[in-house]
Amino acid sequence: MDPMNEGLPGPLADALRALDARAAERAARVSPDRVAAAVVERLRREGAVELQRVWWLRPAALRVAAASVLVVAAGWTVSLVRENTSRTAARLPVAIPAMDSLTAGQLEAVLQAASDVRAANFGPVTPSNGSLDNLSEQQLQQVLASL
Amino acid sequence: MGLPALAAEADGELIARYLAGEEAAASELVRRHTAVLARYLAAQGAPAEELEDLTQDAFFKAFRALGSFRGGATFRTWLLAIGGNVLRDGRRRWRRRQVVELSPEIRDPSGDPAQQADAGWTLQRLEEGIGKLARLQREVFMMRAQEGLAYGEIASGLGISEGAARVHYHHAVKRLKEWIQ
Repeated sequence: MDPMNEGLPGPLADALRALDARAAERAARVSPDRVAAAVVERLRREGAVELQRVWWLRPAALRVAAASVLVVAAGWTVSLVRENTSRTAARLPVAIPAMDSLTAGQLEAVLQAASDVRAANFGPVTPSNGSLDNLSEQQLQQVLASL
Repeated sequence: MGLPALAAEADGELIARYLAGEEAAASELVRRHTAVLARYLAAQGAPAEELEDLTQDAFFKAFRALGSFRGGATFRTWLLAIGGNVLRDGRRRWRRRQVVELSPEIRDPSGDPAQQADAGWTLQRLEEGIGKLARLQREVFMMRAQEGLAYGEIASGLGISEGAARVHYHHAVKRLKEWIQ
């Protein structure tokens, strides 16, 4: 096939032939050996790998990666805090049987455990809460019931 | 039309050898395609004094980007597409340089001076017209009309559809026809 003739009107095909002939003449002045030597030398000097083409080294990719790391780190921190909070929420170590059957000493121990639980969950008991030593057995039972 | 399959395979082998670290393979590829690339660039208006540098730039960029060459097009078409990009960058640098050159080599000294003037005028108009085409129109037109590449091959090289290549060619011919008349 003559590429110059394909579907082209006569004057355009003629002009294109002339253009191509002139282009070929100019191209003939370009030395393939000289170009080859220069290209190989440049590849040696500037490196054969085009870093700009490595997508993950592009500034935009780096920005996206940095943003992703921040989002993941933030999410991980939040989930860790939530998990920690639910795990450390203290519970009474044993189920409390009927209060009536407990001795004063056992009640004191239960109250102490309850106090520890409160302190763990809601912070230390303030001084205004008073001392357990001053409470009667009935008051202690009421305190326990309110917990 | 495009190069025979044997030559395309040979290009592929040279590329593989170059990627394996054999510089001689790169030299061979350059020697093989320099004339075609330089002619392609010259026909699109690359100044004669810049032609060798442009050719060298295009090869250099092609070799550095070989990792992204998927073989959808032949190496030659891919190289021409890169050459088109290099030329576009060059045009930005030369935008203010107006090259008006009547080409003495196409004149026939024995011919009619009026015909010679006509031919020179048409050639100049064609050159201007090609320069005024949209980039894809110009590249598709030159690949098709000058290099004789198939639409599918052009489409692969330029990363467009075959239908788009046909449309660009059609518009380019229409515009050039109007321009030189």
